[in-house]
Amino acid sequence: MGDLFAWLISFFLVIGVIGVILYQLMCLADLEYDYINPYDSASRINKALLPEFVAQGVLCFLHLFTGHWVMFLLCAPYAYYNFTIYTRGRHLLDVTEIFNQLPWEKKVRLYKLGYLVVFLALTIFWMIWSIVDE
Amino acid sequence: MGTENPNRPNFPARPAVTPFAAQQSATPFLSSGSVVGSEAPPFRPVSTASSQFSTPPFSAGSEGPAFRPPPTSRSNELVRPPPPSASYGPPSSGFQHFPSPQMPSTGQLPPPRTSFTGQPVVPMQTRPPPGHVSLPSQPQPPSVPMGSPPQSIKTGQPNMNIPLSADQHFLPSRPNAQASSPPMGPSYATPRGTFQSAFPGYANMQPNSVAQAPTMQPSSFPLQQGNYGPPAPSTPFLSQQRGYTPGPPMSTPSGLYTGTQMQQHGIAPPLANSQGLAEDFSSLSLGSVPGSFDAGVDVAALPRPLGGDVEPKTFAEMYPMNCSSRFLRLTTSGIPNSQSLASRWHLPVGAVVCPLAETPAGEEVPVVNFATTGIIRCRRCRTYVNPYVTFTDHGRKWRCNICSLLNDVPSDYFAHLDASGIRVDMDQRPELTKGSVEFIAPAEYMVRPPMPPLYFFLIDVSASAVQSGMLEVMSQTIKSCLDDLPGYPRTQIGFITYDSTIHFYNMKSSLMQPQMMVVSDLDDIFIPLPDDLLVNLSESRSVVEAFLDSLPSMFQNNMNVESAFGPALKAAFMVMSQLGGKLLIFQNTLPSFGVGRLRLRGDDIRVYGTDKEHILRLPEDPFYKQMAADFTKHQIAVNVYAFSDKYTDIASLGSLAKYTGGQVYYYPNFQSSIHKDKLRHELARDLTRETAWEAVMRIRCGKGVRFTTYHGNFMLRSTDLIALPAVDCDKAYAAQLSLEETLLTTQTVYFQVALLYTSSSGERRIRVHTAAAPVVADLGEMYRLADTGAIISLFSRLAIEKTSSSKLEDARNAVQLRIVKALREYRNLYAVQHRLTGRMIYPESLKYLPLYGLALNKSTPLRGGYADAQLDERCAAAYTMMALPVKKLLKLLYPNLVRVDDSLVKTEEFDISKRLPLTIGSLDTRGLYIFDDGFRFVVWFGRAISPDIAQNLLGEDFALDYSKVSLSQRDNEMSRKVMKILNKYRESDPSYFQLCHLVRQGEQPREGFFLLTNLVEDQVGGSSGYADWMLQLFRQIQQNA
Repeated sequence: MGDLFAWLISFFLVIGVIGVILYQLMCLADLEYDYINPYDSASRINKALLPEFVAQGVLCFLHLFTGHWVMFLLCAPYAYYNFTIYTRGRHLLDVTEIFNQLPWEKKVRLYKLGYLVVFLALTIFWMIWSIVDE
Repeated sequence: MGTENPNRPNFPARPAVTPFAAQQSATPFLSSGSVVGSEAPPFRPVSTASSQFSTPPFSAGSEGPAFRPPPTSRSNELVRPPPPSASYGPPSSGFQHFPSPQMPSTGQLPPPRTSFTGQPVVPMQTRPPPGHVSLPSQPQPPSVPMGSPPQSIKTGQPNMNIPLSADQHFLPSRPNAQASSPPMGPSYATPRGTFQSAFPGYANMQPNSVAQAPTMQPSSFPLQQGNYGPPAPSTPFLSQQRGYTPGPPMSTPSGLYTGTQMQQHGIAPPLANSQGLAEDFSSLSLGSVPGSFDAGVDVAALPRPLGGDVEPKTFAEMYPMNCSSRFLRLTTSGIPNSQSLASRWHLPVGAVVCPLAETPAGEEVPVVNFATTGIIRCRRCRTYVNPYVTFTDHGRKWRCNICSLLNDVPSDYFAHLDASGIRVDMDQRPELTKGSVEFIAPAEYMVRPPMPPLYFFLIDVSASAVQSGMLEVMSQTIKSCLDDLPGYPRTQIGFITYDSTIHFYNMKSSLMQPQMMVVSDLDDIFIPLPDDLLVNLSESRSVVEAFLDSLPSMFQNNMNVESAFGPALKAAFMVMSQLGGKLLIFQNTLPSFGVGRLRLRGDDIRVYGTDKEHILRLPEDPFYKQMAADFTKHQIAVNVYAFSDKYTDIASLGSLAKYTGGQVYYYPNFQSSIHKDKLRHELARDLTRETAWEAVMRIRCGKGVRFTTYHGNFMLRSTDLIALPAVDCDKAYAAQLSLEETLLTTQTVYFQVALLYTSSSGERRIRVHTAAAPVVADLGEMYRLADTGAIISLFSRLAIEKTSSSKLEDARNAVQLRIVKALREYRNLYAVQHRLTGRMIYPESLKYLPLYGLALNKSTPLRGGYADAQLDERCAAAYTMMALPVKKLLKLLYPNLVRVDDSLVKTEEFDISKRLPLTIGSLDTRGLYIFDDGFRFVVWFGRAISPDIAQNLLGEDFALDYSKVSLSQRDNEMSRKVMKILNKYRESDPSYFQLCHLVRQGEQPREGFFLLTNLVEDQVGGSSGYADWMLQLFRQIQQNA
């Protein structure tokens, strides 16, 4: 039962992270098509960054503590990436250079999104598996 | 190769200097030399010797193939007395010695075996007796003989010499050669050509001094000579000379030649054919061939922009209605029609825009007021009406030239068309005839009432500011400019001073004296007064003057050394945020208090050369970028004036200017006695030049192309909208284009730059520049229409941007790589039809590109490593170069060097256009030279300058340490003349004040610092000299070619 519960939490966390990433991508796309100005775009994205990092970190530790080693290893690189850019202070978007960074930032987020979708699929699989298992 | 070194000495006059000159020894090429040496002992053991010639089979004495022109640098060699000729004698084989004379000089040449018997004689002539040697200034006689004889040997005819440069043009000049022996008309093999040319060039250089013998000059041979003349292998003569050789009678030396010459022939079979005539590229022969180590470049023949920046003319002629090139320059006027073509071009495709460039009297931009109709713009793409729109349907419709949409002509703007479809009122409509116009914008173009010109001063009054005298000079200057501030009577002004506390000044017009309010709570800044900190200048004039008068004395005894810069910046922001305007910051120390405090960095040498190096060139604290973004948002432009001799973190402070469209002025170690004039001039110009406020700029262009990246000092407000809180004539912006469609179908692409701004008089205006450029399908055409100035401007911005994300070396390599790729691509275009061995080819339009690339790599932001420039200086120069218009940038990269002592002594008028190559070889010990890069003058006194001149110019100080002497007008003719020349230069370029630095030859380290490191053609430190650089490029171009 506990395992199922862990998978459920993990499932919602992944959904949450995907939501945040989508939101950031949306802000970037709006910026690119000139629907919002760079100040708003940067501040919205920067506000959404910490929740993303925290949720992802929690997800990672959840798998660690519940003994889902494979899943933990899968999320570790992502967590490590977040951790390094955070410690170097490069996680925030720089409003002055946002247009130059735009292509790169979009690419990063698209990769994250793809990664998370795979992760979500696995999570759902394991969740169903654990339901069936019981 | 030890051998080379000996040469060095030859800058006889100046030992001290020599090291720089000497550097050549370092060149890689040396190694090969040994071969030769043995054979031709008499010659300087020359280094490399040998064969540059790769191609032709050397039949016999292959060893000596050395036609290579001697490396130019060697010129020094002339000096040396040649060993007596004995060596030449060697029998045999067929190696012709060409240039015996050269040999001594270059060392490299010496073909080992000379067949010429006759030669010995020649050499004798050529070489100056040892005594003469060297000084360039010295009587030229030596030079003369040198030059000509050699030629004669080679060519057989002395006369042959042709003026250097024009490769293709010389035909006419050479007539004798051909004429004399028409039948013979041997073809010159190109390589040969090089050889010759080199030699002459060599000759030229030396005597840069005036004295050159006339004969010498002509000497340089255009490379192409070879081509003329049908190959006529048959006659012996021909073969020797390969070229022109005139019949025997003509030149005695030729007679000497013996059968051996044939070999030469073999070496370079006459390749030439008439195709040379048709070559539509320029070339430079570099003797080396891939694989050979020997290098020979004729230094004198290298292209140099001594005429200054030349704008491409063909473009303007093709489209007379385009805006002037001072406003908009495209890197190539031929827009590629496909993405694949664009990617083969390798250089940036883009534009450099200087929207408010100063116009000479008579060419002002016409102002158009569409009061009744509203501004005519395309409905869809918002393009402004311009000379390239077409009217149809009897004048009722117009077709947008950018998006081809058919728009209605408003009834108020209607005019009939004449028989040829042109509006009858054309001549009264500047917007339909001129590429640059200014529209008066109606209320729709305003988001708020036009702002008044606003100047706000944020002044550091800590101890160092007071001691340096900055405070006094600054307040005097501001006071003297009060009358000239633009926008009277609406101009607003305000002041904040700060040390470890922040001082506000109430300037209310009813007060007699300003009231000072001190805020010392730096954590929570507040404004002590709601208004009156920012006042109308005309109303509060007397209070402002009283304040400026008392400012220096108020803080005279201030011992506070702290600087609460960050909090003061925030305070200024709060005061200004309602209106926007211009914020001038005078900063003397490293910000040390409150938010935004910075720490010393950059003194850790270990960081340099590592991946972390670039961080030093970025703002340390995100506070600065954030503030800059807020400033831009509120229409505040920041100009930073920094004065400290210690580290002030210009990288951080400058980012305030960078993202607000401002400028950084840096006066390291400011002392009012020395830098007073410079600060005064530049501050006055900053305050009084015509400024456009709260501006935005957009560049529109036709379908299929799009501007994607922008480079300069500004912030983007959306993908293609540049926000410029304040713009003026000294700012230029660059942008790169990319093609959106794989194939462009249109014939012409139009560009329209629109700058919407508030003028100082309070009018909202739109300045519109329109240009058209043809779409081309041919790469050669793109190269032909290229504009070196714009390309270099873009290169420098890209390179500087790269230094903020990677090492300096990477940035330099990137520049080099792009030049190599571009020239390689160009070479590939012609490699098939033309014989290019041993030649570097480039389009005429890009002939200065390699030199400017080299100069860029040696410019302050990019040069060397840790020790070559102070970090602050680098950053300040980088911020400055990011904003410089094309012409000023080119002048900074390749400064003017002129010799003035001659015109001082004689009565003739000084010829301002007589520029010299930037190499130490141009400096004569007896001369007086002025070096002008647009930012400063360096006046160089030769060691052997006549005491008369020195005394006249400097009075009694002429024997003192020049760092303490300044050049001022004295009561004598010479002094007046020099000052006149300097003033003339200053007037021609008023954006910055060129402070005069006096340098005496051999006075280290000043000479090295001010002048020698800036002689871009010389090898300094680890960087290569011009000739080496060309060889490097050449070699890289040939790889994988």
